[in-house]
Amino acid sequence: MFISRALKFFLFLILLAAATTFLPRAWLPQFLQSYYTTWFGEPSYEPPPNSQKIAIQQAEPFCPDVHPEWRKQQEVEGVSIEESLACLPDNPWAVAAFVKGTNNVSMDTLMKSGLATDAVVLGEDKDGDGDPDVVMIKLEVAELNGRSPDMEEVIPAFSIAPGIQPGLWVFAPKIAGMATKNIETTEANEMLRAPSPVIRVEQGDTVQVVLENTHYFPHTIHFHGVDHPYSHHENHGNDGAPETSELPVMPGENRVYEFSQFARAGLHTGHGEVEPGKQRKFELAPRQPGTMFYHCHVQPQHHIHMGLQGMFVVEENRPNNWVQTLNIGAGHVRHRSVAVREKYVREYDLHFQDIDSQLNDLIKSTNDPRLMEQRMNRQYNIIKRSANYFLLNGRSFPYTFRESLIVAEQNEKIKLRVLSGGEDGLSLHPHGHKVTITHYDGVEHNPQAQITRDVVWLSAAQRVDLELNTTNDGLHSYGPGVWMIHDHKERAFTNDGMHPGGSMSAVVDRSYLDEKGWPKTHGVDWAPFFTPQYYRREIPVWTTYDPHGMFGEVSASTVGVGKAVLFGGIIGVLLGGLVVFLFSRKRG
Amino acid sequence: MRFPSFLFITLLVILVRSVSAQPAAQESVAKDSEHAHHQHHVASHEHHGMQMDAGGMVMNENHDQQPRDCGAIAGEQKITVRAGTTYAQRFNGTIFAYDQHEWNIPPCTKVTVTLENEDSVRHQWMLHGLPRYLHPEGMFHLEVNGRGSKTGTFITPGAKKTYLVHCDVAQHMEKGMKAQLKVGGGDGNLPSIPGITAARYPETYANSSRKWAIVSASIVVLIAIELVLRLFWRKDMKNL
Repeated sequence: MFISRALKFFLFLILLAAATTFLPRAWLPQFLQSYYTTWFGEPSYEPPPNSQKIAIQQAEPFCPDVHPEWRKQQEVEGVSIEESLACLPDNPWAVAAFVKGTNNVSMDTLMKSGLATDAVVLGEDKDGDGDPDVVMIKLEVAELNGRSPDMEEVIPAFSIAPGIQPGLWVFAPKIAGMATKNIETTEANEMLRAPSPVIRVEQGDTVQVVLENTHYFPHTIHFHGVDHPYSHHENHGNDGAPETSELPVMPGENRVYEFSQFARAGLHTGHGEVEPGKQRKFELAPRQPGTMFYHCHVQPQHHIHMGLQGMFVVEENRPNNWVQTLNIGAGHVRHRSVAVREKYVREYDLHFQDIDSQLNDLIKSTNDPRLMEQRMNRQYNIIKRSANYFLLNGRSFPYTFRESLIVAEQNEKIKLRVLSGGEDGLSLHPHGHKVTITHYDGVEHNPQAQITRDVVWLSAAQRVDLELNTTNDGLHSYGPGVWMIHDHKERAFTNDGMHPGGSMSAVVDRSYLDEKGWPKTHGVDWAPFFTPQYYRREIPVWTTYDPHGMFGEVSASTVGVGKAVLFGGIIGVLLGGLVVFLFSRKRG
Repeated sequence: MRFPSFLFITLLVILVRSVSAQPAAQESVAKDSEHAHHQHHVASHEHHGMQMDAGGMVMNENHDQQPRDCGAIAGEQKITVRAGTTYAQRFNGTIFAYDQHEWNIPPCTKVTVTLENEDSVRHQWMLHGLPRYLHPEGMFHLEVNGRGSKTGTFITPGAKKTYLVHCDVAQHMEKGMKAQLKVGGGDGNLPSIPGITAARYPETYANSSRKWAIVSASIVVLIAIELVLRLFWRKDMKNL
């Protein structure tokens, strides 16, 4: 009896040892592995799993080419609109309305621009030099990619890159009608987009910026770098900061910010009615030209990053100087000021900003503004912020190439106005060129001491004016091409870590553009970049030029079915034997 | 034994029905037959289009074209809608609202709507789902650019239907400005109408866990009561 049980146990051990020889050698303890190799020799070749075939989704068209007729040089309402070779150029009717004023254009132009009659009201020519000097601009606050209680999709939807829709707030021109393109889509009206529009006025103009708070949170506007008096004659501040200057503009309220010489002298201008608790008037007067900045100052550590920031350009005073009051989506200025036309052949507004989805996507997490206040103001902690999306003029690569290419020809001087709206600064690097910094924060740099370089550092909120000179002298330019221009902080040319992405665009010689304004590139196939799948990290990065799958996705299953069954069977028999053995011992 | 339970169920059904039934005010303003011209309109005709000025706009009005399913214009109604943040105070978690979020209108009625905007920003009263042969995109639309008002007219079709009314300024519908207009009693309710229907994607509030704690506590207490009662009942049985 006893012997037979010992024999059984011994048999069991032998079986167990035999079973281990079926195991992949690598699964065994190190000391057993070397013994097994000595006893049985090297294990035989097991082929590693195959590369998996990844089906790449149908890519979006690189250039949707929605309005090819918008590209050409044209005249609308007597306003000359420069040629714009971008895939998605600015709406020429909107440009005309911003130059002449929405109060001075026909109903047809207004309808084609989608703007409200009072979006940009241009008035009197005070100095008699042939251009209007009284300007009223109405800005609303629009939420993009917000939450709906009725559906899972965000509304109004704005994609910064394929399938990427971070929550955003923007100052937007006053439009007429719906926030979406039409009733069939959730896509945002093209006037509602990031970045907030570039505001352009002439030095010395009497400017009113009316903030009409259409949003559900309180907001203000702080005019950063734009000459404005601290205090206003009606006993309130004029600086946008709730802690030192003014109460925030609550939802449904409006406020008029003014830039006027009268305010500085403390005189009543008589502009507009002041309604207690509902409307207040602010007066500002830009005496100095330059590239400035405007942003919301309510909980600015959040609201600036949510997108309530824009470029504010004060153009030098010249006769007959009709400036393009708003530049939607920044980028190419299709109707330039007189002073810029004196020195440059083209002008681009480049607004860089970044996003931390953990903040921006909070607006998708709840529809109750009280919960959102709690999550944004008190639960989110900016100290732990880390940006994961990087925008140039409201888009990330590859969409930047549809709107923000800098088009050049040889021997040209092009003006770039750059705003660093993100928190981590900007290391702007153009390939193939060295640019000259002419202005810092709107102030001209000593012309004798101007710096020419290929990395321009801008700290947070800083602006520079750059001169891009395409003279092929090995210094300013190395010749024509499709030269990238990007933030050299490495994370900034990714979309949440996936390259290529971020705020990357290009300086493209005209000869390298096709008829849709798309650059003729030499490198890899861009199709994966125009799928949400690529940025979901589902496509091995080198797939399109790796026909043999050297760097393909590794298939998940590594063990053949037969082997798996055999191995499982042996384990099963052994476990069964063990149970029987233990059971019989108990009985005995 | 079967009879009382049957009676109970019947009573329950009557109770539920009386609670859920909408006392739809169908004051069908049957008008004089002098308006019954029986005009048959073809699909192609001039639209009133858009009237726009500094105060706002009125889009796709219809003063005189009968909807195809109306024999005649049955009557007229005027409604005034006030819009603004003030009205949102009635509904927790909203910011914008109308003074009313449901209107009941008889079929084939000429409705003149006045939108009074009490805020200093843009608001709209946009109605969707009207016949497309009368209204481009099926839409009738009032928009007021700030404080002030706009008035426009449309004619309700003959069918029972509930129409969506909202403000399409970005996020205004989502944050409260959503309403419904019921013609002939309507064909049900739309979701997420403040004060009327729940959101399709409702919020999760922190104290909902407390609610479940109360529910489970109630279950425990009821079981305890039942056990105690049974104990007494057994004692009674023994005594008997």
